[in-house]
Amino acid sequence: MLKTPDWHMLIVWYFFVGGIAGGAYFTAAIADNFGGARDRGVVRLGYLLALPLIAVCGILLILDLGVPSRFLNMLGAFKFWDPMSIGAWMLGVFGLFAFVSAALSFSASEATIAFRRRFSLVGTITGFFLASYTGVLLSATALPFWSDGRLMGALFLASGASTGMAAISLLLFLSGESAGEGFKKVKHADRFAMVFELILLAVFLALLGSAAAPLTSGQFAPLFWGGLVVAGLLVPLVLDLTGGRVRALGALSAVLVLFGGFILRYVIVMTHA
Amino acid sequence: MARTLAMFTDTSLCIGCRACQVACKQWNELPMEQPEWTGTYQNQRHFTDKTYRLVRFVEQPKPNGDLAWFLMSDVCKHCAQAGCLDACPTGAIYRTEFGTVNINQDVCNGCRYCISSCPFGVVAFNHDTGRASKCTFCNDRIHNGLGPACAKTCPTESIQFGFRDELVPKAQRRVETLKGLGFANAQLYGDDPKGPLGGLNAFFLLLDKPGIYDLPDKPLLPQRNVFVDSLLSIGSALVVGVGAMIAFRERGGRGDDHA
Repeated sequence: MLKTPDWHMLIVWYFFVGGIAGGAYFTAAIADNFGGARDRGVVRLGYLLALPLIAVCGILLILDLGVPSRFLNMLGAFKFWDPMSIGAWMLGVFGLFAFVSAALSFSASEATIAFRRRFSLVGTITGFFLASYTGVLLSATALPFWSDGRLMGALFLASGASTGMAAISLLLFLSGESAGEGFKKVKHADRFAMVFELILLAVFLALLGSAAAPLTSGQFAPLFWGGLVVAGLLVPLVLDLTGGRVRALGALSAVLVLFGGFILRYVIVMTHA
Repeated sequence: MARTLAMFTDTSLCIGCRACQVACKQWNELPMEQPEWTGTYQNQRHFTDKTYRLVRFVEQPKPNGDLAWFLMSDVCKHCAQAGCLDACPTGAIYRTEFGTVNINQDVCNGCRYCISSCPFGVVAFNHDTGRASKCTFCNDRIHNGLGPACAKTCPTESIQFGFRDELVPKAQRRVETLKGLGFANAQLYGDDPKGPLGGLNAFFLLLDKPGIYDLPDKPLLPQRNVFVDSLLSIGSALVVGVGAMIAFRERGGRGDDHA
């Protein structure tokens, strides 16, 4: 007879926001290193988005503990085999990378830009970590639905990438910068992440087998199929592929991707709430 | 490390008096709680932050229509490989020099990760203190030369306390005796250090399959998944990263380098 951890909306929001922060950061870092001058909007927005979001992550986690100062207890131990312990530390490391990258994103000096590129390339590791470790954290529990799928971390990473890219493209659209090459490229990368996420999701459900029932046929089935699979993945993909040059459709698709990313965390966490 | 201590709960001797459950409450100053209707004499349904020892009253139908009654005093297993201990990010959950697993209440920060990392669902959240709690193996008593309150009070010696290396052979002899008496399904649960979770320091003699007592047949350490899942996450990162690299790559080399 297993027990559930009583994690609710604060943790759902943390998983969601952490995914966006990690995804936005490594997207920006990859654009910084492999893109060109026309992608600088993506680069700057990605770094600038990751910084406040990681602060929000910290606040969400601290609030969840009930007594805020108890967060310090996490810093009294470091267990490299324990996703939550290493996650608590990496939250700070990621914050450091996000801060430095965001601060350096305003510089026009060649040397600073060259340093920022190399620095952010190292930082992508922390971004990938932040987007995926929450899935591994769930799979290292005794609860079958969380632990039998093997791809929870991989799935969270693909979703974090996709929502991070969607958040960047939405901000580009809202700030009137969607006419540029950067918008097209980040949408391109997001399409790729979405297709990969769909594949991972299918394999994940197959690996879960009967343990997938809470998602596929339980109380969250309508949210899962309607909210995530259809509204959060299939519709945005169709919008992106058929919308062509209509940037408003691209922005709508980004909103749907963000919605789907939230639903994914919601149904997975709340199944065991 | 001192010699490993253990509790051996021989369910064949349990009479369901619940003296252990009461003694545990008294010694550990655990308050009363709302009773739960479970359909049997059992109360509570499962361990809570106020119930560390729990007598299970299991009713199984017999072929002739009667009910067979299986009684079992259940407790934290103090696993040799403990999921709660590995999950704890603060180090609040620790192994004592006697091999038992305990939660340092001053260090626990209430993250609740251990609660879903226990393969037996033992650890509970105390909403008053905002921290996790479970059986302490009467940590204060064993450090003062006394046995746990439950074992001390058990009137039938269904709960026995002692050194693990002495209790296990005793338990093995007892199983053989019971089999000789016709209890064909009598079996030990958690006695084997090479078995699941490296053996349980609170181990049991059961009269039937573990499942009827709400125990998993083969409890697994949750952290077994961390390595493989991390590798798969790295694989996912590579795919997503390469996808983004292709999307952002400047055709015909990098154009303007000024960002």
